[in-house]
Amino acid sequence: MKRNRLLGNIVKYAVLIVILVFLLFPLFWVLMTSFKSNMEAYKFPPTFIPESPTVQSYIDLFTKNNEFFIYYRNNFIVAGGAAALTTFIAIMAGYALSRFHFRWNGWIVACFTSAQMFPVVSRLISLYKILGDVHLINTRLGVVLAITASMLPFTIMLMSSFYDGIPVELEEAARVDGAGRLQILFKVVAPLIKPGMLAVGIYAFLLSWDDYLHAATLIQTDTLRTLSAGVALRYLGELSYDWSLVNTISIVGTLPMVILFFFFQKYMVKGLVAGAVKG
Amino acid sequence: MNHTGGKGLLSNRHTADKMFSLMLLLPAIITTIVFILIPVADSIYRSFFDYRVRNIISGQPGVWNNFANYIKLFSNGKLVPSMVNTLVFVFGVVIAQFIFGMALALILNTNMKASRFIRSIMMIPWVVPTIISGLVWIWMFQPQYGFVKYLVGLVTGGRITDFAILNNPSTAMFGVSCAALWKQIPLGTLLLLAGLANVPDDMLEAAKIDGANAVQRFFKITMPYMKSVIKVTVSMSIIENFKQFPLFWTMTGGGPNNSTTTMAILSYREAFVSNNFGSGAAVTTVWMLMMIVVVFIYNRIFKKDEV
Repeated sequence: MKRNRLLGNIVKYAVLIVILVFLLFPLFWVLMTSFKSNMEAYKFPPTFIPESPTVQSYIDLFTKNNEFFIYYRNNFIVAGGAAALTTFIAIMAGYALSRFHFRWNGWIVACFTSAQMFPVVSRLISLYKILGDVHLINTRLGVVLAITASMLPFTIMLMSSFYDGIPVELEEAARVDGAGRLQILFKVVAPLIKPGMLAVGIYAFLLSWDDYLHAATLIQTDTLRTLSAGVALRYLGELSYDWSLVNTISIVGTLPMVILFFFFQKYMVKGLVAGAVKG
Repeated sequence: MNHTGGKGLLSNRHTADKMFSLMLLLPAIITTIVFILIPVADSIYRSFFDYRVRNIISGQPGVWNNFANYIKLFSNGKLVPSMVNTLVFVFGVVIAQFIFGMALALILNTNMKASRFIRSIMMIPWVVPTIISGLVWIWMFQPQYGFVKYLVGLVTGGRITDFAILNNPSTAMFGVSCAALWKQIPLGTLLLLAGLANVPDDMLEAAKIDGANAVQRFFKITMPYMKSVIKVTVSMSIIENFKQFPLFWTMTGGGPNNSTTTMAILSYREAFVSNNFGSGAAVTTVWMLMMIVVVFIYNRIFKKDEV
């Protein structure tokens, strides 16, 4: 019995270590490469810790490859805009779905769930023309709207699960005091679902930060491109890679998300789990 | 609720509720219709036409071409291999993700000291942008100086020295799947951990006293209690992997020799590289049908299980 337990523990920790190494080692590797010179990065067998650590590729990224920071800034604008718009729409729609139970709710939910499934490419073929017709092609606003639409279904469900946890009696009391409906929503109820807004907002920011396809097809001007599209077009596909630069880009491009996640992980984890498991 | 208002007031209230609810839903409904439902319907419609980028530039409508887009795709042998590649990728990644995610969740659910810390750092790959996860793994797999080449050389004692996973048609799909798994295992684990929290401890304890071993406890108690969470986790993973585009596009571009050309790559190439929107739309239509069939079968299996 005791030996069995020992064996079980060995297996348990072995599996844990294998999975964790798989998940975390590549990031360590990229981080280390970003501090190597290209000379050292091209060494085989590779060095685990940089022999002569250098921040040259970070300096190069700031000084020589300014396009990167244009993409970076655009990514903040697009992801921020999409996250704000998504959260705002979800605050209203989530409330409606949680509080009022009309026959159309079922239809709306069904529409949202199926809308989530459609692949982006199938929408882009038409969006290209539709956005062209309303002169939103090749603009950041057009991309923001397209991304927002793709995130709404899930975020509305998520938001509505937060409203479900707020007692209706509170609103009744405010109504007796003569508050209007919109006033009740924005002044009484909305402040109580701040955790929901944070969960939705950060999740939406994370998803839009990750967007590649919308920006790659709906934007042609280089100075309007976002991170993923810009990086893929400019730094990929060339015959010789500047590997320490590419790895530096990976680190700088990921950093905001890691910081955001560690600051708000409580909200994100709770929110996502609640939304996914209930919805 | 206050019933003194009588019927007239109540129905007034009902109408007002309805109007208010509709008003709140309207922005979401309009955005979804304009940016999702109309484009999708439109692309299905376009798939029956000869419709190219020049039609957009010159403003001419497409020409009905008697299913030529579909016939061409089937007859030139592009569509079926892409369907197979898509299914191989989706099933491979979904199953592997479930197994690894479940293993990790079960381990983290035991009273381990570092559990909280590990739960938080294991999430990092999940927040790495997809394009960058592609870059991370291209670098890991790099054929001359890559770490995986070094590792393979080490494990095989120097016998295999030209290990280039992404350049070989028979292993490229596995290479891309590694990157997909790397990014997706964390969220799967997180959701399954939430499901494990719903499994009552006293049931497990009672089963243990009755002599059930760990495997029996897992299949007879843990799994049934987690059913709804498992269903959601797996279906999210199915949909996400069906739609996977950026990883393939950056890591292999569909190659080598079309061994990683999925429906996503094929449709993008037809529509935005060859600029033949009609043909691209035909691919996405078949792709969507495939997804609907798979999701339908999946829901069926889970329903049957419940009876």
